Amino acid sequence: MAGSGRDERAWVRRAQAGSVSDFEALFRAHWGPAYRAAYLVVRDATAAEDIAQEAFLAAVRSLDRFDRRRPFGPWLHRIVVNRAIDWARARALRPEAKAVDVPAPERPERDEELLRELDLLSPEHRAVIVLRYLLEYTPGEIAELLELPRGTVNSRLRRGLDSLKERLE
Amino acid sequence: MKDFRAPNEHDAAERAWRVARTAYESREPVTWPRRHARPLIAGAVVAAAVAAVLSPPGRSVVHSLRKAVGVENARTELFSLPAQGRLLVSGQGGTWLVNADGSRRRLGAYRDAAFSPHGLYITAVRRNELVALDPKGNVRWSLPRRSPRFPTWTGTFTDTRIAYVAGGRLHVVAGDGTGDRTIGPAAHVPPVWRPERIVVYSNGHGIAGYNTRTQRVVRHVALSGGGPTIRRHARQSEVVLGGRVLFRGTGVFDQVVRSPDGRWLLVTWPTADQWIFIRIQPRKIVGVSRISAQFGGFPRVGGWCCGG
Repeated sequence: MAGSGRDERAWVRRAQAGSVSDFEALFRAHWGPAYRAAYLVVRDATAAEDIAQEAFLAAVRSLDRFDRRRPFGPWLHRIVVNRAIDWARARALRPEAKAVDVPAPERPERDEELLRELDLLSPEHRAVIVLRYLLEYTPGEIAELLELPRGTVNSRLRRGLDSLKERLE
Repeated sequence: MKDFRAPNEHDAAERAWRVARTAYESREPVTWPRRHARPLIAGAVVAAAVAAVLSPPGRSVVHSLRKAVGVENARTELFSLPAQGRLLVSGQGGTWLVNADGSRRRLGAYRDAAFSPHGLYITAVRRNELVALDPKGNVRWSLPRRSPRFPTWTGTFTDTRIAYVAGGRLHVVAGDGTGDRTIGPAAHVPPVWRPERIVVYSNGHGIAGYNTRTQRVVRHVALSGGGPTIRRHARQSEVVLGGRVLFRGTGVFDQVVRSPDGRWLLVTWPTADQWIFIRIQPRKIVGVSRISAQFGGFPRVGGWCCGG
């Protein structure tokens, strides 16, 4: 779980000053959501790991310039989701034999079905659904994160949900 | 969806943490005043640029700023190289091959370009691809890989190897693009070839070595010494060779590259937007300014190679 805003600002401040333990706190708080979001968009565990890892490396590179008044999570999630969309688009253009993923943890059947159906949506639709229902951003925040008009976010959410509902019914 | 867990989260987190930690520990921490000085410097540069557009006195402000940092009387174009060989440069404007007479060819939208050991080919990367090109920019082979970076080439005329980092792992592939092999976890730092086909890289814990001949991990590896190096101080950088300071300037020097005949050094100096060619003995300095304008952004030099 991500820490409170105050915790997070303190971690960023001390990480900027060179504290490994505070950088680790920041990493531990944000790795899970970042990796899950990437995984749900690309549906490939190795690619999701690379994408989330690259996002943290980008964070390291930009740490000194990072404005501590801004929350860290949305900034990281923007990188993760945009890279995941790019990756998923590239894979769609160049289909390859599907990599064998490591076994997924046990999940209720309904979840599996939902994930399978999520897979059938376009990366752009998957991304807004992941941001809304996994990372719990509001449509306004998603619009800002992905630099999209608010109406586009709403319509992608609506269409994505309708399509999921239709298939799951 | 809130309760969703992706496969193997814990192991993935531990692997990523090792890489992120190495990157964090190897970064250069910025002191408080410098961190806060950056927006001020950026603001000053923007103000100077606006002034330059608005008025002739403004133009002289920009000129003075540049002169204050870079080498005076620098050439405004890279008309020629001071020694034989070709330079390979990559930046936002793509990858360029610069001939000794100053003529240049854009090879394409690649980055991290590097020469093959004898300069006959070039390896470079784009988004999800490692490629080998000939000097005309024709793609000889390509290897789709996730976000490949830092290809470096070594070997002889008949047997070469390219080491590169992709997906947080070090890979080694034959010079003809075959036999790609994953060696192990690697941090986001360029690998370096040592003699005897040993590739030295950062594995997330420290420096590691791998011998591609014996296909074994090498326990004790040393990075080369004796070549020219850059020493960075708070406000200045200097180029040192054999304990002697050859050149010193304000701000940051990015790279130092030796000419094929060993008599010249090229120092890249983004702070001044200049390249500085230094003849070692007898010492001579030749500056070239406006590098960003010539290459569509300040580039990195991938090598200075091999006659031509």
